[in-house]
Amino acid sequence: MVSSETQVVCACFASRLAVSYLFPSLQQQLDRTVEFSTPVTSYRSLQEGAYLLLHNLPVYDGGVVHQVPLLVALMALFKPVEFLMPVLFAAMDSLVAFQLMRIAKLYQRQLKIPSYIPGIVYAANPLVLLSCVSQSTCLFVNLSISTSLLYALQGHFSLAAQCIAVAGYLSPYAYLLLIPLVGICGTTSAGVILLLKSTVVSFVLQLVSFSMNNYNWNYMTSTYWILITFSKMRPNLGLWWYFFIEMFEFFIPFFKSVFNIFVISFILPFSIRFNQQPFYAFVLCLGWITLTKSYPTLGDGGFFLSFVPFFKPVFGYLRYPVISSLLLIHAIVLSPIFYYLWIGLGSGNSNFFYAISLVYGLAISSVIVDLTWAMLRIEYDSGKPNLSLKLTQI
Amino acid sequence: MALVENLHRRIVSIGLVPKFISKLSQLSLLCCVIGLGCLVALLPSDGQFRRTYISENALLPSQAYSYFRESEWNILRGYRTQLDIFQHVSTIHDTNAEVSKWLQQFGVKTAVYEDEQYGETLYGIFHAPRGDGTEAMAIAAPWYNENGEHNTGGAALAITLMRYFSRWPVWSKNIIIVLSEDPKASLRSWVTAYHTSLDLTGGSIESAIVLDYPGVSDRFDYVELHYDGLNGETPNLDLVNVAVHVTEHEGMKVSLHGLPFSELDKNDYNSRLKTMLLGIKDSVLSGIKKCYGNEAFSGWRIQSITLKAKGTQGPHDVTTFGRIPEAMSRSVNNLLEKFHQSFFFYLLLAPRFFISIGTYLGTAVAVSVGFVLAALNQILNNKYAGLPLLSIYNIWSVLAFCIALTFAFITSQLFFYFPQPVALLSFNVLFSALPLVLSTRIKIQKPFSYRFKAIAYLYMAIVLTSLLVLNFSLALVMGVLAFPMTRTTTITNSNVFLSLRNFALILASNPFIATWAVVNFVEPTLSGTRVFGALIEAWQQLGCWTWFILCLGWYPSWLLVTYASIDAIDLETAKKEN
Repeated sequence: MVSSETQVVCACFASRLAVSYLFPSLQQQLDRTVEFSTPVTSYRSLQEGAYLLLHNLPVYDGGVVHQVPLLVALMALFKPVEFLMPVLFAAMDSLVAFQLMRIAKLYQRQLKIPSYIPGIVYAANPLVLLSCVSQSTCLFVNLSISTSLLYALQGHFSLAAQCIAVAGYLSPYAYLLLIPLVGICGTTSAGVILLLKSTVVSFVLQLVSFSMNNYNWNYMTSTYWILITFSKMRPNLGLWWYFFIEMFEFFIPFFKSVFNIFVISFILPFSIRFNQQPFYAFVLCLGWITLTKSYPTLGDGGFFLSFVPFFKPVFGYLRYPVISSLLLIHAIVLSPIFYYLWIGLGSGNSNFFYAISLVYGLAISSVIVDLTWAMLRIEYDSGKPNLSLKLTQI
Repeated sequence: MALVENLHRRIVSIGLVPKFISKLSQLSLLCCVIGLGCLVALLPSDGQFRRTYISENALLPSQAYSYFRESEWNILRGYRTQLDIFQHVSTIHDTNAEVSKWLQQFGVKTAVYEDEQYGETLYGIFHAPRGDGTEAMAIAAPWYNENGEHNTGGAALAITLMRYFSRWPVWSKNIIIVLSEDPKASLRSWVTAYHTSLDLTGGSIESAIVLDYPGVSDRFDYVELHYDGLNGETPNLDLVNVAVHVTEHEGMKVSLHGLPFSELDKNDYNSRLKTMLLGIKDSVLSGIKKCYGNEAFSGWRIQSITLKAKGTQGPHDVTTFGRIPEAMSRSVNNLLEKFHQSFFFYLLLAPRFFISIGTYLGTAVAVSVGFVLAALNQILNNKYAGLPLLSIYNIWSVLAFCIALTFAFITSQLFFYFPQPVALLSFNVLFSALPLVLSTRIKIQKPFSYRFKAIAYLYMAIVLTSLLVLNFSLALVMGVLAFPMTRTTTITNSNVFLSLRNFALILASNPFIATWAVVNFVEPTLSGTRVFGALIEAWQQLGCWTWFILCLGWYPSWLLVTYASIDAIDLETAKKEN
């Protein structure tokens, strides 16, 4: 009898593979939707980069490729066996599911749920599944983050540092997660080692990328700088794009800095306030980044929501889980429809889609707020849930 | 935040939330009633609607003098006499060849699009003297109209207008004339071909005017305007406004949704209500019932309307009818950019009165909220509310929903191969009777009954919400017709009265039975079981989704609710028996 965890991993792998090979055109269709694909995570852009690289053309001059050089090189390596790409992505996704179950195992005592539950939730989450089928490169980031988290929780801080450095190399927002990760380390020395190790690995990765890109730093602009400046103006589910499409030129730098500060602003407070529960601080930070980053996809949202089962002990404290889930469901169902009204039929306009992306933002933020409240409540009750006590915040 | 907190404390202190939860079932019904009540009672009354106005100032309808008058009379008559003869002596192929020669005489480039299934379509493009050729206006006149009458006057008018337009240097958009065999499939196939495969094209079509003037009469009574597109699309209100403005400016009366001449002058609550309800009916059945031609242009960002001349004895002359497309083309020609955004969502109460989306959308939202409340009622208002999220009951209900969806999908596909409406209806009647028949033999556990219904209502709510802005009329009608299913009760001990009540509610809310009954009631042309064939045809010929929305959006929920209406037993009793 194989363990239920193995079954979940197999089911996860098989479902992704089945969807990818049964509906071969689905990958391209999803890659064209604004919900699952952004300029910085699109598989098409990665393919373009690999093509340019294989033909010895400058990869980053055209302003099309926004993926880091090592990822482009990996793609170029896989180019001859491109039909196997779904297998790679399915395997990575199953690995994330496996790691979530390992994390659940570490917290088995507090969680009081079978450790395979987070794995099932991850595997059955349609957002994650479709994001995996669309071969969005945010899966690489998610995998690095979950690996790093698992290692940190297991006490392998050196490996955790390397993984978070890889995640940060792929998407610099992951560097923000270093702060809650340091909290997970517990001791100062371990924290310092984590920071130093990740800095060194990041430098090495940048140097390798620099040399691979013909000793040219121009990849920095199109991969990292674009995240900060939001220079590729494309609609997505985030809060950024609508703000900058019609704004007086001289206001733009100010508001761009405000948006960037906004991303950073809540990382430290979360980490400090919940320093006794660093894992939960980590998850809340992840949610915050999902909400405020410049190019979010539903894949990021699905990854964050996969951590919600870990909050099982505080579920009783949640104040409006029904509202959050209804918001989320409606946002996800309506966003392609409103995008179609705007771009396809022409009877709607950009406000329609922006309204829905706001609803999505509201859904994610209501999840974060509700979880934060629940965490504070259980702290107030000193870890022993007392659901009959009614509290209100002032 | 303090205000919100105060409110929150007050709500908690008077115990509003438990009261609210215990009354969910009634509240859900209330929502539906309010929605429907607002629609019927409020919207057509004074103060709720506005007078129409031209939103895009560049359109300037009727600002230029119309010259399509006596000078064109003989030309029009000549063409019309010729076409009348062709109608009797030659095939459409030969007629097209001849008409093509006429059009080429005044510089219109012509081509014939041949569709194996739906016949051939002649079209010609007059290139704009002042434009860059990227935009166009279409004037279409199918050879036969929706009633199968020969559209002699409409086709002759279209050709005369082309000849007349070709002498003018003012055009900044290409003008396309389309002469298709019928206003439905053949025109639709031409529109699709124009955007996909045709060689001779004239840029993106901004507006399309379909002319329908059957017969050879010189005179007519009034103009009928048709604007409902497929899948709930409507043309930009500006185009409708321009048409109404121009028509009334020329002294003719406009009729919407086939209102008879005697009712055109009325402007009271009843007449507005009638026009609005007819509008909702026409929008729901657009593509399924008779097609007037403007439907064929749907979905390609083309604003299209049909102008139909009614009667043969009236005071107006055929050239007066021609001045409507002339002035409309002049208006559209003025457009520098596009039609104004967000002027696509409206309900017309009269040619000059409309309700905008913000006012009417709430009615359908209320119905959709009614479904959400009904779902919450099934989750919260019973002793199984505390079941864990991942309990077997929840997982099974999701699985059962997937099975119902698959079954509904198979039904929708199967009907294409075996179009037997009688079999479909009788199967659904039998299925509705299943809980009655099984009442003593098979029991289901109570939590299943509640959870199945919750998922069914939630799904229905999501479907309705997604339809809201795509196809308001369909969302509203579907929500109201499906609403009886939320009133079914979970019964135990085979209570005969309640079982019969459930049976009646389930029967009434079945997608196919309800559609059949309502369509028979409101649309005489689709009497009997003809509506099902028409739904299939609308998908195959025009790409109208209504069949799939019925099957995939409504049917799965109905299946679940029907199953959940089987006699249920308590969990404890079930355990004891085992």
